Amino acid sequence: MGLLTILIFLPLIFGFAILLMPKTWNSYFKYIAAGVSLVQLAIATWMYFQFKTGEAFAGVNQLSQYQWVEKLDWIRLNVGGFGTLQIDYLLGVDGFSIGLVWLSALVMFIAALASWEIKTNLKGYFALFLLLNTAVIGVFCSLDLFLFYIFYELMLLPLYFLIGMWGGIRREYAAIKFFLYTLFGSIFMLLVIAGLYLSVTDPTTGNHTFNLVYAMNPANYTAGSIFSATANVQFFGFSARWIGFVVVFIAFAIKVPVFPFHTWLPDAHVEAPTPISIILAGILLKVGAYGIIRIAYGIFPDVAISLAWWMGLLGVISIIYGSMNALAQTDFKRLIAYSSVSHMGFVLLGIASLTSEGLSGAMMQLISHGFLSVMLFFIVGIIYNRVHDREISSFKGLATLMPQFTGFVMIAFFASLGLPGFSAFIAESFSLIGAFSSQSLNGLVPRWMAVIAAIGILLGAGYFLWTLQRVFFGDLYLKKEDWKAQLVDLNFREKLTLFPLAALALLLGILPSLVFDVTNASVNQFLLLFK
Amino acid sequence: MENIFNHHQLLCLALLALSAPLLAFICSLIFKKLAPIIGILSIGISFISSLVLFLGIWKKQVLYYSFDWIQLANVKIGAGVLLNDLTVIMLLLISFIALLVTIYSVEYMRKDGLKYRYFAYLSLFCFAMLAVVMANNLFVVYIFWELVGFSSYLLIGFWFSKEKAVQASKKAFIMNRVGDVGFLIGLMILLTQFHTLDIDALFGSGNLIASSFVKNEIWATPFGLLPHYWLTIVGFCFFAGAIAKSAQFPLHTWLPDAMEGPTAVSSLIHAATMVAAGVFLLLRIAPLFDQTVLNVMAIIGLFTAFMAASIAVTQSDIKKVLAFSTISQLGFMIMAVGIQNQAAAIFHLVTHAFFKCLLFLAAGMIIHQLHHIKEKNKANFDEQDLAIMGGFRKFMPITAMVFMIAALALSGLPFTSGYLSKDAILVSVFEWSDVRGGFYWLLPIVASITSWLTTFYIFRVVFKVFFGEFTLPNILNKTEKEIHLTDPNAWMKMPVIILAVFCFGFFFALNPFNLDGAWLYQGFNLTESHQGIYHTLVPIYINLLSFGLIFITYQGYAKKAFSFNLEQSFLYKLSYNQWYFNQFYDIFLMRLVVLKARCYYWFDQKVIDGFIHFISKLIIILSKIAAWLDRYIIDGFVNSVALFVSLLGASLRRLQSGKLQHYYIWMLLLFLTFMIFKIII
Repeated sequence: MGLLTILIFLPLIFGFAILLMPKTWNSYFKYIAAGVSLVQLAIATWMYFQFKTGEAFAGVNQLSQYQWVEKLDWIRLNVGGFGTLQIDYLLGVDGFSIGLVWLSALVMFIAALASWEIKTNLKGYFALFLLLNTAVIGVFCSLDLFLFYIFYELMLLPLYFLIGMWGGIRREYAAIKFFLYTLFGSIFMLLVIAGLYLSVTDPTTGNHTFNLVYAMNPANYTAGSIFSATANVQFFGFSARWIGFVVVFIAFAIKVPVFPFHTWLPDAHVEAPTPISIILAGILLKVGAYGIIRIAYGIFPDVAISLAWWMGLLGVISIIYGSMNALAQTDFKRLIAYSSVSHMGFVLLGIASLTSEGLSGAMMQLISHGFLSVMLFFIVGIIYNRVHDREISSFKGLATLMPQFTGFVMIAFFASLGLPGFSAFIAESFSLIGAFSSQSLNGLVPRWMAVIAAIGILLGAGYFLWTLQRVFFGDLYLKKEDWKAQLVDLNFREKLTLFPLAALALLLGILPSLVFDVTNASVNQFLLLFK
Repeated sequence: MENIFNHHQLLCLALLALSAPLLAFICSLIFKKLAPIIGILSIGISFISSLVLFLGIWKKQVLYYSFDWIQLANVKIGAGVLLNDLTVIMLLLISFIALLVTIYSVEYMRKDGLKYRYFAYLSLFCFAMLAVVMANNLFVVYIFWELVGFSSYLLIGFWFSKEKAVQASKKAFIMNRVGDVGFLIGLMILLTQFHTLDIDALFGSGNLIASSFVKNEIWATPFGLLPHYWLTIVGFCFFAGAIAKSAQFPLHTWLPDAMEGPTAVSSLIHAATMVAAGVFLLLRIAPLFDQTVLNVMAIIGLFTAFMAASIAVTQSDIKKVLAFSTISQLGFMIMAVGIQNQAAAIFHLVTHAFFKCLLFLAAGMIIHQLHHIKEKNKANFDEQDLAIMGGFRKFMPITAMVFMIAALALSGLPFTSGYLSKDAILVSVFEWSDVRGGFYWLLPIVASITSWLTTFYIFRVVFKVFFGEFTLPNILNKTEKEIHLTDPNAWMKMPVIILAVFCFGFFFALNPFNLDGAWLYQGFNLTESHQGIYHTLVPIYINLLSFGLIFITYQGYAKKAFSFNLEQSFLYKLSYNQWYFNQFYDIFLMRLVVLKARCYYWFDQKVIDGFIHFISKLIIILSKIAAWLDRYIIDGFVNSVALFVSLLGASLRRLQSGKLQHYYIWMLLLFLTFMIFKIII
């Protein structure tokens, strides 16, 4: 049993254990969840530092270059003349996934700490929480499309209940909207996965296979199969590969979320309890971007190139549109939710540019936004927890009442608006640099897109500073008198949560090579797919 | 000096100068009580290191060091230091003025409960500012450029419960961000064209800029080709960064608002050093600009200089006058860069830093003392309002003296440093337009007018504050003796006296009338100095009129021999309301953006989400139709089949009557039917 298996299934085991424990042990569940996440984080951190870098470990379309690979024959079904149905239990990580695995472990730990605020039906909550934990780590480690899809759908189930049962006032609406939105995308993706299965053969066994890595190699496609590049199968005048790319892209674009598939996000974020918002922003959005890189772009590079202009455009629209919406918000949490749309736009723009700067910037943004959005949602959660109000206009001058809290808010805000020295700056500037240089290097994304996207940085400063001014500075004003007693400064657990996040943002801003060293080889290998 | 310190040791000194303030920033936040001492100590270390660096590098060598910070496939970004003549002058200037201001601040901030933060932020600013001038790579310059803006944000909004201060800090940061976006785009263009942002590689020994050229409408570099207009765009992009940082039109409105911060901060950051960073950047990358950009630079610089001077003439807040004066003087520097007299720009930057810093610190002394009087008497007046000031010369002699010296330097009168540096700019404007002729003669004319306006507005302040009648007793209803208006203590007096010394021309040239003797100017002057006619005529004509103006202002404001009754005129209102820029921006930018944001949100809610809701409703309606169909048509059919069968069964059941006769009849009928069919068919 490999490390990745342990990493994935450890929470599941404890989730079952929690189900079996008596209700009287209620108060220990959160410690179990936090403990499991902490162990995961320790393993993931160890893996991150053990991760071998360099061209020989690039991964991407070379299965032998993946690390911690585990391969078990899972389903072998003889289907007569058609051959053998081959589904593998195939895990492994490369430069694209190791950072996200580590990020997931971190976010899960933070979310577990944020779960202290959950007071009802703890048994169900923590069992679902741990199930979700298994699913997200599984998604980033699976190299078999079938396995990937299972984990991918497995994320929905606990999230639906976690939002629908522990959420805010409109939780049912938000939960079902989230669920249907995502399901809509993934159902069609399943068809593409089936199509891929029929097209790709395992070069070693000769069977059809769901292997994700083999699907990236055009040589593994059966001649004449629907997704074979040479066969050029057409549906309604569109080539099958074109449709395949678009379907998979939309499925993941919903998750990212990319304009115009984003409207589930503000609702889900606003209604979800703080830890679930944290997981949504910190990991779920990254699953979308990861899928776009690994599956949509990795398997259909030819289509990706032909649609690069549109990808870039969607990225730019998301950036500007998200920040303009954020500017209009009166609800603190909704504001953060829209800022996520804007920040994830940089990821798409970076990917669309297909340059090493752009892709590295996008990967950096995934990680950086991972913990910065976590920090932002945690911050909103702190206020909401104390007074159960999130309206921006209900507060003023909190800096005098909660000085330490304000300090962390300032770090989180300035880091998010891309102040140099913090990770988001590196991420955003490199995405932009990639997008700008794209026209000269490969002619995919025009220069004006980078120029327009740069304005997003300005708008980001606008809404964050405006919020800072309205909520934290000026004379103290609270909507209700008695809030003054409730709005106490940070307690130890909260400081314990916020401090490492702030430190990480700073660390990666000063030493971006911590991420770039790991991703570099994979990014370069990935770009070869498009040559 | 090379003999005393080798290359390696100088490098260590540079790092020491840089890291001392950073350490001070961290330590000040931890050891709150020691913050002032830590601040002074760290910046003192920086100053001494800068001094040694200056002696070792000035006119001797270039110190360069870089390590690979970020490495990607095509892009390598190095971080390190590049110390040349320009850098060491800036280093010396920044650390020296910062040291004086930090000492001054000890007294100025003595009573503030959160003063440790103040000193921490000040150290952070020094760190960022020193890094901007030292950095060897434009990407690193950008990083610290923004960090400078951030520390300025923190310091403007230092009194965070003051709504106006918070608004001002936000405005400053966002307006600077506008310029930063330009800067960032400029970086992207350079990186695409040259694959490096190393200043030495681009402008120094690497010579990349020099080896690029425009031919057939293509801007060609060793690494790439772009249409020729990108060369102009890249120039404008960097210029945009400088416009924001140096508060030039149209991004100048943040600087007057920034006066909400502590006065010592205004002095250091918003007069002497940070705002000069824009000029510094332009100087550092000067070879990049093509003629179009340079011309625009000259025009914007001059326009800003004139506009700000015209505003300064009527302002009633002492700090506002000084703020617009700063904008105006920075305009002169930008213009000097535009007309390619870089030596004059640097020279004026240095001299201006001293006298403008001094003006602010002296104003701060007045404000500080008035504030105490206000608190002691529980009075209610605005301690920055010129209207309440008058006759302070008798009570604050040292303040009056240093303020006067600085005012003379600002006006550029003989024997002062301003005389040398300002005339260097003015003379070169004359020469520049002499070559071009025609409309270009507007520039020297407007520049001269601006110069006289400068004299007028600063002496208006001098005569209003230090001469005339002592008005405070009337305002407070107390006798002169009850109001203890004095010079503040040595913490504040010492720095201003030192600064005052540096306002004299002797320090910069042994013969304070001759620019050719100015070591700083000649250090950067690349062209052979030719004693043209303008070198003698311009100073005479400017100064003669200036003396006249000083006399008029003296009569008007000190003696009150006559008064300027212009309050109702349009020009006065235009000037007093700062050309209505704030109102214009508020309506046409701020509100418009917020309105647009609301429209976007409406679109998001009603159109995109509306579409989703429409789809979901449509599906529900369709499903209801399907349910109806299912119930009434499909199920109806099934039910009707069942009904038919049961009806049929019910009717057939009656055949089974149990009577034999009936059976016979049915059988007979059946048989007959069968037979008939048989016969017919």
